[in-house]
Amino acid sequence: MSQIIENPRGGCVLAGINSVLGAIKRVCPVLHSGPGCCMQTTAAEQGQSGHKSSCFVSGVSLPSSNMLEKEVVFGGTEKLRTTIQGAIDIIDADAYFILTGCTAGIIGDDIVSVTQEFQDSGHEVYPIETPGFAGDSNLGYEIVWNTMIEQVIEENVPRDEKLVNIFGVVPYHDPFWSGTLEEIDRILSLLGLKVNTFFTKNQGIEDIKKCSGAALNIIVNPWLFNGPAKKFEQKFGVPSIRIPGLFIGATDTTKFIRTVAGVLNLDNKLVERVIELEEKYVYDYLSQAIGVVSWKRFAVVADASNAVGITRYLANDFSFTPVLVIISEPVFRPDDKERIIKQINDMEYAVPPKVVFTADQYEINQALLNEEKEITLLIGSSNDREVALEKDIQFILASFPMSERLIFNRTYAGYRGSLTFTEDLYDNL
Amino acid sequence: MSDIQYSGVRESKTGRINDLGTTGKEVEENFRKGCLKRADRSFAQGLQCQQINSMAALMSLEDSVFISHSPQGCVGCSIMAVDMYRVGQAHRGIKNIKNPRVMVTNIDQKSVVFGGEQKLRDSVKKAVERYNPKLAFIYASCASGIIGDDIDTIAGDLQQEYPDTLMVPIHCEGFKSKICASGFDAAFLAINKYILKKERVPKEVGLVNLFAPTTVSYADQKEMERMLSLIDGKANYIPFYSSLEKIRKIPAAQASTSICKVFADEFMKTLWEDYEIPYSHTVMPIGIRNTDKWYRGIAKVLGKEKEAEEIIAKEHERIEPLVAELKERLQGKRVFICGGTGRSFAAAALIDDFGMELVGLETPTYDEDAQTDIEYLNGIHENFIVDIANMQPFEQANLLSKLKPDAFIGVPEWAAKLGIPTTHVLDGKRPTMGYDGLLFLGNKIADQLQNPGFNVKLAQHVKLPYKDSWYQENAFKYIKGGN
Repeated sequence: MSQIIENPRGGCVLAGINSVLGAIKRVCPVLHSGPGCCMQTTAAEQGQSGHKSSCFVSGVSLPSSNMLEKEVVFGGTEKLRTTIQGAIDIIDADAYFILTGCTAGIIGDDIVSVTQEFQDSGHEVYPIETPGFAGDSNLGYEIVWNTMIEQVIEENVPRDEKLVNIFGVVPYHDPFWSGTLEEIDRILSLLGLKVNTFFTKNQGIEDIKKCSGAALNIIVNPWLFNGPAKKFEQKFGVPSIRIPGLFIGATDTTKFIRTVAGVLNLDNKLVERVIELEEKYVYDYLSQAIGVVSWKRFAVVADASNAVGITRYLANDFSFTPVLVIISEPVFRPDDKERIIKQINDMEYAVPPKVVFTADQYEINQALLNEEKEITLLIGSSNDREVALEKDIQFILASFPMSERLIFNRTYAGYRGSLTFTEDLYDNL
Repeated sequence: MSDIQYSGVRESKTGRINDLGTTGKEVEENFRKGCLKRADRSFAQGLQCQQINSMAALMSLEDSVFISHSPQGCVGCSIMAVDMYRVGQAHRGIKNIKNPRVMVTNIDQKSVVFGGEQKLRDSVKKAVERYNPKLAFIYASCASGIIGDDIDTIAGDLQQEYPDTLMVPIHCEGFKSKICASGFDAAFLAINKYILKKERVPKEVGLVNLFAPTTVSYADQKEMERMLSLIDGKANYIPFYSSLEKIRKIPAAQASTSICKVFADEFMKTLWEDYEIPYSHTVMPIGIRNTDKWYRGIAKVLGKEKEAEEIIAKEHERIEPLVAELKERLQGKRVFICGGTGRSFAAAALIDDFGMELVGLETPTYDEDAQTDIEYLNGIHENFIVDIANMQPFEQANLLSKLKPDAFIGVPEWAAKLGIPTTHVLDGKRPTMGYDGLLFLGNKIADQLQNPGFNVKLAQHVKLPYKDSWYQENAFKYIKGGN
């Protein structure tokens, strides 16, 4: 089920799969697809994510069968076979994943059998049969993890009570993903936990294989990873908790720590000491710039997780006035929508903002332009700057797609990220 | 007049090939003897599909909507054109910068089984209701082509329904061509068929169609317009940042020329056949030799050769002392060049202005035009490798590690990781064209050579993804056939 969309944010499921795999160290996607899919899928995600792209293989470095008319008519499995062989021969990867483009999907090439031949001769090659037209890049994130659960992650790995897996922060589709994962890792490490982020600190396919030994899966996202979480628990017995939105600032980050600590029965004294030190760190800075950032009535256009985090920080911790929140990714299940709305409605003091769900740029623009209440700050993506310029209001580029800033390890998440966010709010005009 | 309508697929032209590993001398001789045959790579990295070019070519047109009849991923690369459009507006002093209106029909499983024509109709309807555009471009994709959706018929129906919006279906299905420049041709074929329709309009004296792709900066546009104005040419700058009105003016022109060698070259032939507009098809105006050549070409068509020669002489007088300084810094340095058809050969001519030595050249296609350039390069450079490839970084990395050039010109990503000083000739946001562009590029190359610290240190920390064994192999190992 895919809707007609104006200025879509991100690519197809193939784009999502490609980018998520690209964020894992020494993993090589191989595309069995049309001649443009390597560039298109990379540009759709990594190319709109603050100008950082996978260093190992991405774009025109990706091995591809480049299916042309001949393959469309006669089938492309032979071309796929020589492409996989070439990839194994020259690319120094720990694992190869064979991805399916629309062309291969529609004509029905049997990529599983071709992949099997290479598995039989001892190569680490995994097929992913989901073709590009099956959905969007969010689905791609889930497909990658379903593939890992079904084909890669090992069973009977000894349980490590201190090990946790982080899910829900999507590489590249969230431009702040690496900084965010680093901040989550930093905080959880302070509590004595070992953290699988999978996409930072040189983690790779070996960490993924052993991640079934974790004590807990922590999903930092209000709706993604529902299906994979169930499969993970069924197959490996690892339970999941859902943190229903990114935590930005002291209030929600502390809540996050207490939730995790409660589930894992962590030492209360240690937990409270960490919270005290981290909150002090934040307020030591905030107290040095009181009244410097002028008061704003704000609107947010972002994916659900970031929209929740940004709105709650600005309203609950920074006393800005929330007016309108637009969830700009397709969310279909009613209970997912309810969970998102609940997070945004659950304000400590502020009057909850209006919440709109739409991924279509025209509808987003109309919602912003027709909002009766005054908006003086818009936090959104590169696509949303147009409306901010038209309304002549402050604009902060903080969600995907992001073309006008370079992002390495910057994040707005957690304790430290909230200070970065607050720095960016400063506007001397 | 040609009897057969050109299909828009560049491979359909005899003598044009895509996959070959050779040398300058060898390829010149084999092309002359008619010995070059089409080949393929049994292993390859990703290409650029023609749909990317069809979209990029038009995305900055005013009052237009762009409807991609495809899954969502096929508008991925449009971000590059979107960014250029936004930056282009900023450079032109526009304060309220707009997004281009891109709609994706989002072909899905249901469309694959039952057809996606209704989704296309609904998308166009939405676009017209929202923006009441003058132009609606409808792009085909691999998926829409394979499932057999008839975009021409739908466009025809919708044209009846919405007479105020010109429907322009473009056949840019990715699987139809390995040469992404085919996408430019597909776009121009559609413009001719659905907008110009072979209708004659009154001629405007001095009007020159100046075809430019999105990758030409505003600074370059102004420089090309200035040069044309010196020989009494008034530029109709299209299609980048233009409009339906300017497109409609195409047949009124007295002459045509292009800034890029593979952009509108086929279309200019069509304009000669259908509207008798003479044209100049030469080279990209980068560097002294190429700028001279480009300028003389269009001056000849306009009958302004004498005026052009005077200007060229004056420009030489101004530029040559400055280039001489650069030449001192760059003389004898060994260069490897990788780029699109237009820019790679332009860059190869450019390095001659600086007295540099060509050791390797990577370019996507080989044909008659390339032969002319290679003949010229063989006259200057002793011996150089030619890789006919659309990127293929694995071959490039292999060649670079063997040739060990002093400098690399082209997409910097891979050469930089090998520690080689890099300069990109494709800078759509800054000046690279004309006589002054040469200085900008020359200074960039010379400064990089003098101060290569970033790339040197990068190479100490980062490795390309290839196995060590690959660097020992023949770079052209995977090219099959063609001999």
